[in-house]
Amino acid sequence: MSAAAAPAPALAARGVEKWYGPLPAVRGVDFTLAPGEFVTVFGPNGAGKTTLLRILCGAVKPTRGTVTIDGEEIGESDGARRRIGLLSHQTFLYPGLTAAENLDFYARLYGLPRRKERVEEALLSVGLQDRRGDRARTFSRGMQQRLALARTLLHAPSVVLLDEPYTGLDPHASAMLRAVLDRLKDGRRTVVLVTHNLSQGLEQADRVVVQVAGRWVSDEPRGAVDTAAFERVYTERVAAAA
Amino acid sequence: MTTASEPREPAIASKASAHARDADAWDAPGASFVAQVWAVARKDLLLEARSRERLVSMGTFAVLVAIVFAFAVDPAVRARSIGGAMVWVTVLFAGTLGMGRSWALEREAEALTGVLLAPIDPGALFLGKWMANMAVMLAVEALIFPVFALFFNLGFQGSIPALAAVVVLATAGFIALGTLFGAIAAHTRLGDTLIPILLLPLLAPVVIFASAATQRLLVGRPAGDVLSQLKMLGAFDLVFLFLCTALFGAVMEE
Repeated sequence: MSAAAAPAPALAARGVEKWYGPLPAVRGVDFTLAPGEFVTVFGPNGAGKTTLLRILCGAVKPTRGTVTIDGEEIGESDGARRRIGLLSHQTFLYPGLTAAENLDFYARLYGLPRRKERVEEALLSVGLQDRRGDRARTFSRGMQQRLALARTLLHAPSVVLLDEPYTGLDPHASAMLRAVLDRLKDGRRTVVLVTHNLSQGLEQADRVVVQVAGRWVSDEPRGAVDTAAFERVYTERVAAAA
Repeated sequence: MTTASEPREPAIASKASAHARDADAWDAPGASFVAQVWAVARKDLLLEARSRERLVSMGTFAVLVAIVFAFAVDPAVRARSIGGAMVWVTVLFAGTLGMGRSWALEREAEALTGVLLAPIDPGALFLGKWMANMAVMLAVEALIFPVFALFFNLGFQGSIPALAAVVVLATAGFIALGTLFGAIAAHTRLGDTLIPILLLPLLAPVVIFASAATQRLLVGRPAGDVLSQLKMLGAFDLVFLFLCTALFGAVMEE
């Protein structure tokens, strides 16, 4: 009897590089993530973390290498794009539309069933249910970030990419985001979190990566990382690799 | 009691309902091409209905151009003999003004990136933007024609359905090119200044046929006399719409 074929990784990058002219942004990144894995990528400014996330979601084409979601190459398949959600520095929202209209627009693009119900659930999940009729333009930075999070998760992506999600959030909203991230750890969703904040980044991580000058200089299971010593270790690694 | 900004326990808190939601979304066939076109057009029209930015700026510009023409054109020249050209030059410049703004909406908060991350057909995005731009431009033209008729005493004597056909066909081709070049300009440092440089040379045939047909109808020639112009405008529309829809994916790449 032949052994069953191994399932495709939820997210895989093979030899991914991105060059802007002579300047490298991402160099030789290779990894595979299993369904349900939560990876936090740390790195100093200019390490290429945001570029890497944009390559992973298909917003930027790599100079070399490939990215696959559940075995399907990103950019080649609508199926792969349906399974990915990106929370970026920018909210990807239309300031002139209300919170509900923004989510409804994205729900239409994704062809989601039970659109109205989903939009209401998404607003509720980020505590904006009472502001559904207000334009995104009138929201504070933190509220816009929460609405952007609702947009990111609206289509129930199986791979969630989060770029500095805590930026601009007050402690209350940060706690809410932490709760949402905890709920994402349901064993079925793969999460890549990029952050500068060491303590927040370590909270939910299963795997801890340090990226410097476009390269992954360390990639360790969370259990192997000493929380108390991490700041010193991280600083040493960044200094050694820079 | 909950406040406006306080998150309540959401529906996705329950694992069973979360899984059901996921399965619902993952198994959905996705939006059809037509549904995507409508989603984009609806969103643009909603934004325009709220702000009226383009309608006001393009409409004001058109009225000002009509006033300038009213002072600049020698009274000895019969307005009826150049009315078609004046109207279409005004339509062209007013329309060019609005094309850049149409894409500026997408640049705010990088919304276009969010749209392109969705499984949307680039052709659907183009046609959605085209449809909304058409609606805005036709609304402005509904102002331009009466304003010129008033300022230049252009008592219209021709066929109204034929004039409507000229306006719709000429506008369709113009907006197809304008929507594509607006997208290109949005990705360059030159921005909106690039739009007329790219657009005007290619639009020359559309303006020539539209002006000629409008002129004939202004002086009371029958609809049959503009049939050849209508056919040419229709042919340009097909070519422009096909090419622009096909090329749009390449324009949107990175």
